[in-house]
Amino acid sequence: MKKKIIVNAAIVICCTSCVAVKEYEKININDPDMNLSATSIKRFETNFQVYREGASGANGGKTGGGCGCN
Amino acid sequence: MVAKQVEAVDVIKMKKQFILLVISCIAFNVLFAQVDPAQSSYKKKVLETAEVDFLMSYYTQDGKHASVTGGIGNEKLTDMTPTIVVTIPLNVDDVLTVDAGISAYTSASSSNLDPFDASGASNGEGSDDDDRRVFASDAKGSPWVESSGASSKDVWTSINANYSHSSDDRNSIWTANVGFASEYDYSSIGFGGGFTKLFNEKNTEFGIKGQVYIDSWNPRYPTELDSYLEAGQNLNNGFFADIDILNQSGDIIDKDGVQVWSPLNTTLLNDKSRNSYSVSFSFSQILSKNAQFSIFFDLVQQKGWLANPMQRVYFADRSNYYVGNASSIDNYTSPRNTDVFQLADDLERLPTSRFKIPIGARLNYFINESVSLRTYYRYYFDDWGIKSHTVNLEVPIKFADGKFTLYPNYRFYNQNAADYFAPFESHSSSSKFYTSDYDLSKFDSHQYGLGFKYTDIFARLKVFKLGLKSVDLRYSIYNRSDGLDSNIVSAGIKFVLD
Repeated sequence: MKKKIIVNAAIVICCTSCVAVKEYEKININDPDMNLSATSIKRFETNFQVYREGASGANGGKTGGGCGCN
Repeated sequence: MVAKQVEAVDVIKMKKQFILLVISCIAFNVLFAQVDPAQSSYKKKVLETAEVDFLMSYYTQDGKHASVTGGIGNEKLTDMTPTIVVTIPLNVDDVLTVDAGISAYTSASSSNLDPFDASGASNGEGSDDDDRRVFASDAKGSPWVESSGASSKDVWTSINANYSHSSDDRNSIWTANVGFASEYDYSSIGFGGGFTKLFNEKNTEFGIKGQVYIDSWNPRYPTELDSYLEAGQNLNNGFFADIDILNQSGDIIDKDGVQVWSPLNTTLLNDKSRNSYSVSFSFSQILSKNAQFSIFFDLVQQKGWLANPMQRVYFADRSNYYVGNASSIDNYTSPRNTDVFQLADDLERLPTSRFKIPIGARLNYFINESVSLRTYYRYYFDDWGIKSHTVNLEVPIKFADGKFTLYPNYRFYNQNAADYFAPFESHSSSSKFYTSDYDLSKFDSHQYGLGFKYTDIFARLKVFKLGLKSVDLRYSIYNRSDGLDSNIVSAGIKFVLD
């Protein structure tokens, strides 16, 4: 069941991505709240999470260097 | 003869005309290239004007598992971080970002590097907490009481510069960065570079980034361990000369006897380096007019002294010794204990290598003009045995024609314990590695937050030559299942240069 869901999701993503969204159709995608990176103000939350949790990275924040944290 | 002369003059005239024509064409082309408005406006600036961000956060936490005192004790901490970020367009293709900030904190846990300061047992002068004890015979402390020594507060400073260059078609972006950070027991130099490529009419993006941190400890140790070595491992010398050491029953021990306190290791830190090397991959794809997603994948290798030399460990299989009030020993692990402190068995010891792999994904969906959905998931694992899941949901809600936005958000996080973690007084002294840092324990956490943003895309409000573009406010509550609670308020104001 899980495999079917993953395969179907991959097919949907691949098929969808075959049709490129034109520049003039990107008004919604270009909304600042649709940005795929974290907002600048969120850096402080990411920073304390790097100290207080064992995991870090894959979020634009630090991965362990530059501080005495994990 | 005359005809030949006329013919020669005509040839010379034709040559001159031809040369003039060629020069005219070249001049026209050059002039045309310089003034063609269509061509100059075709290449839009990557960043139109300089931007300045003033950022600030205030963080507080409280808990009962201080790692400096071996996994029990007061974890109160406050941290204030004023930061400025200046982004400058160097030309149509290149942008320079300079990011400078400080983090000024006070920490009850760090203060107990020398717990005996609270009693006035040392005068706290200088950067070294264990100097000049003047009333050592009155020494008493507690993991639950904040001490007043130099280690109770510090300022972390950092500066980073990032340069980015975009290709003419804006489908390729190169970046390079360099940075420096410092605090009283730690310094760091970081540098890196990256490359991003956009394909498929900018619907698909692939990025790769490398980052190196060359970090160094300027170690500070728990005062009893440091003092023991300074006193030549003799309890009748130095700091210990005028101090009574108590056993578990509260009796004063004979310092020349067989049953005396001594740390497990007399080698403290033998490698001051702590370096991190990471490679990050990212892939993003526009799925439709209203949806896009990205996947992140990091490979991180850390080498060097990855344990924190400030953090104590207490073993289950070694006798316990104390300094302070004998009648409080029975209540040692209770916040009611204000005047007795257990001498450390050792510093935390961890492997000198750690390999981390976080894999993250974001999916953002534009529901309508007012509401969007931002989602994030991360799976993480490393060779210290930690596995974790992170889920983040945020629903930006616009109102007043998009001038204002609310950001309710929720974050869930969980992890299992590192292989080397055990609570206070639970480790075996025969283990090679050990820590009682609850940041490496098994827990889950919930974070609830609300953000608010004011945006003026025309930046009409002026402050000198700066136009106000946006104001951000954000508040979050963080609850960890081991009892650590924290709050953070963040604020940001963005200006653009007129």
